[in-house]
Order: sequence, then structure tokens, then C-alpha cells
Amino acid sequence: MAEIDTSDHGGGRHESKVKAKKMSTRVDLTPMVDLAFLLITFFMLTTTLSQPKAMELAMPKQIKDKNKDKGEDVKESQVITVILDKDHVVWYYEGLPEALTPETLIKSHFGADGIRKAILEKQQQVAQKFGTSDKTICLIKMTNDAAYKDMVDILDEMDVTKTKIFAIQDLSKNEEAAVLGARELGSV
Amino acid sequence: MPKVRIPKKNVTIDMTALTDVSFLLLTFFILTAQFRPAEVVAVDTPSSRSNEEIKEDNITLTVDSAGHVYMNLYFTRRIPTLDSMIERYGDKFPVLKTLTPAQIDNFANVETFGFDINQLPSLLNNSVDALKSLKSDQMSGIPSDTANNQLGYWVNAARSTGLSTGTEIPLAIKGDKKTNVVAVKDVIETLRSREIYRFNLITTLESNID
Repeated sequence: MAEIDTSDHGGGRHESKVKAKKMSTRVDLTPMVDLAFLLITFFMLTTTLSQPKAMELAMPKQIKDKNKDKGEDVKESQVITVILDKDHVVWYYEGLPEALTPETLIKSHFGADGIRKAILEKQQQVAQKFGTSDKTICLIKMTNDAAYKDMVDILDEMDVTKTKIFAIQDLSKNEEAAVLGARELGSV
Repeated sequence: MPKVRIPKKNVTIDMTALTDVSFLLLTFFILTAQFRPAEVVAVDTPSSRSNEEIKEDNITLTVDSAGHVYMNLYFTRRIPTLDSMIERYGDKFPVLKTLTPAQIDNFANVETFGFDINQLPSLLNNSVDALKSLKSDQMSGIPSDTANNQLGYWVNAARSTGLSTGTEIPLAIKGDKKTNVVAVKDVIETLRSREIYRFNLITTLESNID
């Protein structure tokens, strides 16, 4: 059982006194400094990196009277239309929406060799025809299943490819049908 | 040449000073670091290359992953916004006119607002602590559909608070990665119908720029 040994071993105080060795009080502080600097580095890096940033977006005015404001004429060959779909799939086509069929819709994805390449190629074509790639127009449309991240990603691509003219629009009926058709074509 | 004898020196350096300095710096960084304000609505913003700073005093419209819309106002703008709401839309929403001065003052404690206007009086009866600990699952979002577009009224009221000083209050939309674009587009359309064509999307800086 737990007992406290209180018995005196017979000796006087002088006998039991152990002479303490004089120890050096110096402590090696290197690991502490290491740790402190590690933490400093950590705080410095995390505070600057997690700051939210803003992306500016300008939308066109709502045109109430469509006949009044026709704007500039746009050539069919200037336009590339990008449609964002679910699961980060990107469809694109060139030309008019009326002539669109599921077969002419090209499937692509985000990344340097995906939609960015397609936009850059379009810009080259436009540059050959009109003398400047600034005239490229990118229409961004999205299906109801697309995620907001995709929208930000495609706006980012506009910045990467330096596409000056782009607009976010609603899908037309024909485009919607084409996307549905193209989804089925892909799954076969 | 006589050989010079180099006295053997003690190689241990006194690290105390170094420790002092490093901990001072550590304390400084910890104290000055701006902690993210407790987010009522958990939103994982998408990343982008954009490197613009966000203005502190903007009106932030948060769209969470379920598509609910919430509004964040800078703390000095909260009461003027509510006053403006009462003045402009008091006839449309009679409940606004029933608010007592104490309830209006309490609106300054509402950081993130995501309620139907008709729920305001019961919300503002809560204590300050209860208001500060509101969670998104206790809020249903501001109605923003075309039939009952309260979001538009709030945006109008909030922007009108800058009119007296002639400043245009910047607007920002903060969406979750997984938010459906339709919800974000609805908010954008609401802004467009209020003749707001320029606004910011809040993103985080992309870490791997390819």
C-alpha cells in the first residue's frame, strides 16, 4: 500500500546531505529560435496569401427598346461562343447560333490546351481577317447546371487570352437543344 | 616567423538576444494579423488571377452554395440603410414602419442579413449576442425572385446612403465555388435592373498561375 516512509535512517542532517553538483545554467536556445522563426515565416506567409481579391465585371446595359440601339454590326466570323456545362465541361462553336447542331458543338475543358487554345486560335483567325485580334468577340453562355466557379474561370480565361470584347448571355433555345444533343452524343 | 597562437575561443553564442527579437517579431505578426471575421455564411470562393484589392466599405452580396442571398454592410452604413429602407419602402412593407428606435439601433449589430423584410421586427428583438452568433442555417436568404425582389430594394437603400456624400458605394458579389450560376445570374440581373453595371466578384488569388 501507499505509505510514506517517515522512518529516519538514523543519520543526522550532515550525513544525508548530498552535495549538489554545480550545473551550468546555460540552455541551448537554438531549437527555440528555430521554432520562433518557423512560426514567424508561417504567419507572414499565411496572412498575405489568404486575402480575398476582387475581380471586376462590367455588364451591358439592359436594352429596353431593341430597335433603338442596334450598335455596331458584328461579323459572324468574329464570334466564338462558349457554353459552360455541368461537371466543368465547356462547349464551344463558331458562327451563328441558328445553324448550330449537336455535331458542330465542340467539347473542351478548362486549361491551357482546352478552351484557351480554341480562343487563341480564333484570335489568330480574326487577326488575319480584320488585322487585329482585338475584334474577337467571345460570348459566354451557361446551362443551368454550371457552377459559379466555371464562370469565374472563363472570365479568367478572358483575361489570360486578352479578349477585349466578351459578354455573358442567356442560352438560346437552339443552343440548349444542341447542348442536350451533344451530351447524348458524348455518352454513346 | 614566430607562430601566433590562436587562443581557443568558446564557440557557444548567447542566443538570448536572438530569441528576444524573434519572439518580438512573432508577437507582432500574430497581433497585427487581421483575422478573418467570423463568417456567418460559409463560402469557399473560387480562385482567379485577378489581383485587385477589395474595398473595405463595399456592399457584399453573398450567394451560398444553396443559392441563398445574404447582404453584408459596412458597420457605419447599417442604420442609414435601414432608415432609407423605411423612408423608401415603408408603404410597400408596413412592417418597416412599426420598428421602434431601439430595434433600428439594434440593426447595427447585424453583420450578415439574410431575411425576409417581414421577419425584421422579430429578428431585431434579439439580444446583441444572439444577433452576432446568427448562423446561415437560421436564415432563409433575402428573397430575390422577380415577384418579390427584396434584394433590389436593399441594394437601392444601401446605395442611397452614399448619395449625400456623393460617393458611389462599390458592390461585390461573393459566391461559392459550387453555387449554381443561375443564382449568381439572378443577382447580376437584379443589379442590372437597378442600373448597376460594374461590380466586383470576390475571389481568392490563384496559387498556381499557369
